[in-house]
Amino acid sequence: MNNLPLVIENLTFQYRRRSEPAIEKINFSLQPGQVMLIAGSSGCGKTTLMRCINGLIPHSYQGEMSGDIRLFGESVVGMGLSTISQTVGTLLQDPERQILGSYVLNEVAFGLESLGISREEITPRVERALARLGIQHLRDRETFGTSGGEKQKIALAGVLAMEPRILLLDEPLASLDPASAQEALQAFRMLADEGIAVMIVEHRVEDVLSIHPDIFMYLDDGKMTYLGGTEGLMDVVDYRRIKLPARVVLERARQDPAPVFIPAIRPEVKTETLVQFEGVHFRYNEDGPEVLKNLNFNINAGDVIAILGHNGSGKTTMVKHTLGLLKPTEGRVLLEGLETRKMTVAQAAHTVGYVFQSPSQMLFAPTVREELSFGPKNLEFTEDIITQNVEWAIDTVNLKSEMEMPPLALSFGQQKRISIAAILAMRSRILMMDEPTAGQDYWNYQAFMDAILQMPGFDAVLFITHDVDLAVIYANRILLVYNGEIAADGKPQEVLKDEKLLRSCRVLPTSLLKLNMEYLPQTGRFYRAETLAHLQS
Amino acid sequence: MLKKSWKFGTREVVYAAIGAALYAVLSLATNWIQLPSAGNVSFRPAIVIPMFFGVVFGPIVGFIAGFLGNIISDLIAGYGFWFWWDLGNGVIGLVPGLIAVWMTTYNSFKDIVWGEVFSTIGVLVGMGIASISEMWVSGADMSTVIFANYLPAIIPDLINGLILLPILMIAYAAIVKRSGR
Amino acid sequence: MLVTWRYRLRNGLMEKFDPRARWIFSLAFLFAVTLFWDARFLAFFFIIAFAWYFSSRAKWKETRRGWYLIGFILFMMIVINTIITGGGAGGVVPPGGHLVWAQGGTIPLVGWQFHFGLTWERLWFAICQLLRIGAISAIFLIIPYTMDPRVYGVTFRGLGLPDRFAYSMELAFRYVPTLARDFGTTLDAQRARGYEIERVKGGIIKQIVRIAPLIVPVTMNSILTGEDVTNAMDLRCFGTRPRTWLQKLTFHWQDYALIAFSIILLGGGIITLYAFHLGNFWVPEFWLRLAGG
Repeated sequence: MNNLPLVIENLTFQYRRRSEPAIEKINFSLQPGQVMLIAGSSGCGKTTLMRCINGLIPHSYQGEMSGDIRLFGESVVGMGLSTISQTVGTLLQDPERQILGSYVLNEVAFGLESLGISREEITPRVERALARLGIQHLRDRETFGTSGGEKQKIALAGVLAMEPRILLLDEPLASLDPASAQEALQAFRMLADEGIAVMIVEHRVEDVLSIHPDIFMYLDDGKMTYLGGTEGLMDVVDYRRIKLPARVVLERARQDPAPVFIPAIRPEVKTETLVQFEGVHFRYNEDGPEVLKNLNFNINAGDVIAILGHNGSGKTTMVKHTLGLLKPTEGRVLLEGLETRKMTVAQAAHTVGYVFQSPSQMLFAPTVREELSFGPKNLEFTEDIITQNVEWAIDTVNLKSEMEMPPLALSFGQQKRISIAAILAMRSRILMMDEPTAGQDYWNYQAFMDAILQMPGFDAVLFITHDVDLAVIYANRILLVYNGEIAADGKPQEVLKDEKLLRSCRVLPTSLLKLNMEYLPQTGRFYRAETLAHLQS
Repeated sequence: MLKKSWKFGTREVVYAAIGAALYAVLSLATNWIQLPSAGNVSFRPAIVIPMFFGVVFGPIVGFIAGFLGNIISDLIAGYGFWFWWDLGNGVIGLVPGLIAVWMTTYNSFKDIVWGEVFSTIGVLVGMGIASISEMWVSGADMSTVIFANYLPAIIPDLINGLILLPILMIAYAAIVKRSGR
Repeated sequence: MLVTWRYRLRNGLMEKFDPRARWIFSLAFLFAVTLFWDARFLAFFFIIAFAWYFSSRAKWKETRRGWYLIGFILFMMIVINTIITGGGAGGVVPPGGHLVWAQGGTIPLVGWQFHFGLTWERLWFAICQLLRIGAISAIFLIIPYTMDPRVYGVTFRGLGLPDRFAYSMELAFRYVPTLARDFGTTLDAQRARGYEIERVKGGIIKQIVRIAPLIVPVTMNSILTGEDVTNAMDLRCFGTRPRTWLQKLTFHWQDYALIAFSIILLGGGIITLYAFHLGNFWVPEFWLRLAGG
């Protein structure tokens, strides 16, 4: 009993510069081969808990720690980071940042090189780690050119090469498309079956449930509010904060008032064509592969389009064409009747407002006000109009109190809203968003999507997403993209009902989609689970 | 205080590498941007990177950002390897790094002025070393070195660097609060 | 793509050498050639340098940008040095000599007196400069085309740099393509907000400030990235023990030969100059005869 891989007793930690503890009185233990899932919304203390276990606290982050952590019966107090790291392997959230080597071989060998293990021993251990995840073929590739799913496996192999007996995974699904996420989860389960104790921190709870975690912990504001089997979790967890299977939500939501959601864009008013793709082909360089293959479609006023597709299917490349950031190799794109080849990106920005995925790629100004004025100023609006637009934009994203703050000092969720407001202030006719929900937790992104789609001011909205549920709930039209081609284009209920088609495009049906398919004869269209709960009675 | 300033732990290894890569990428990326009305002053915003990394992360990080960054950008551009100029660019990061431990908020008037003063010294000394090396390598005399090497190097470095450094320091002041270290 | 390495396998002669041996040779060559101002010696170095350069099999199309730049700087320096300031290097060229052309006068308005005097000796010195800088350029210009970027870290470790510095180098090479991509993304994100970098407006300060929307996000983002990278390295025991470098460099006979040659070149050069006083600036007879003297 004393030699369990991980025992945590009464653990509390407070960062040096904070006035409140980040986690308080955490107690649990983990057996070999168990999979543990830790869930909670942003800022609940998940990351802090992981840092306590892997030794970054107190080695890299300072603060006040009490309680005890024991690894195989030994207290971590006084243990060096290198000792801990040989027992506890950590996969950080963003594999892109975790990968240190230019080549896969060097990346996987990194930990062993640091430990000064001999070359003769390193190579077989690297090969073994790669083989465990079935990625031997990547051995001599450059890490930079690999896909998101591959990157994560490479990073994981780098951790496994050190032969840890406990594995910590920090939001491992965040950057993966559904099919890659399923593959990754299968790999985690396999490692647990080999005897490694696996701890997954993730808010895509529904996805993780598919590999049947043994223990579930729910963290709320640094406190453990639930610890036990997954059955019990359905009752304790707030279904609005953590994404549960749709059927559970349906049951639970019956007791609450029906949600109110009135989209600002009505599909009925399809009067005007805003964007036309005519036989668009694209390749990045002359002898490179075709990334887009003969695209033909229009974007009309009244559309709320979800673009679904796997990583690398060409979704972002396609959207960049509407703004003229990329010009077709063959064919043409028309924006309100004008060819994008004949206009500047700045001119196109009057029609298309494009929000990039990560706010940190665009925020630069010393105050939010200047940040929001940047776009309209570039478009040469008059002072009065700029002031008016900025005020309207900041009101819309509900951050008026932060107007004079530096955007870089805000939280990630706030930055995301500022990045949208910066586009709103340009008063473009179409709003396009690349992965609008990436990096935000369930509660935040639902509130955020609700707000955007209820806000007046756009003739059409388009978003790129991996999240099928987002498409189910918000879109009135789906573009399914596969390998640079449009595999399907139509109403959600038409496109998403074809499960075989979805799977062939590496898009996986979700419980919400399945639930909606059952109700479709009654409803005639898709709704969120909370709405279905009330429709039915 | 001084000991801390010359520390070279994991964090410094990382920021030296990132600074160097950033300097190289920005140098290459802004090569094609022309500023016709700026007269003879070439557009060289990348020079602010070693200064800024010096001010924030100390002299060694600043030095490597400039030294290695210049090597890498020359490697990619295909210009070869010019040790003395690489060294000079390193000094541009090293000198402002000497005051890194005294920085507090990064956006106060005092911090910015010190950053600017030491960056100026860094440019004058660093490019001085590089230019004087040309007397020995290429056999040019002092006045040639001043007109053909020194002035064409320091003028754009000072103008670009001193304008951009406060902008980066103010931006950094906003993110430094978010780190839990 | 903004960033592509110049290196590719060319099966040239120099790729058969260990990179450490090549660095030793290149540096020894640099120090050796800078000992001399005698055109005969410089010609010898010039021939070695270009033989080395051409053995790489790099094509003119690839290297010409580098040569243009070097050519331009060289031209400026030689022209200023030879004609305008008239110095020669630190007293290498003796004062006086055979005049080619002289021009004196007064600059209007300010009234400064000036006097140019071009001599045949200085012209000869210019030829020496050309040989010397040309030789050095050939040796160092070819490095990026023929040295694999992934061996830089281990090479400098092998030359005696501490682990941490060598790894910093390795990591810098890793981040170059990533940061280049991030720069491209930020440029696109700002263009989507109507930003046009190529549009020139305002004075010089305003123009430089206009780069802020690009440089600020890329820099701050990379600093945030650095926090995670530091954690990732600490979690994999970086710096706790002397590092094993997976890539192994071994000296072969040809490397010892190259190093020996480098030593002879530099050592022989020093002896020739300081013991035998050979190799100082020298103007051939026929040249002065051309001058009519």
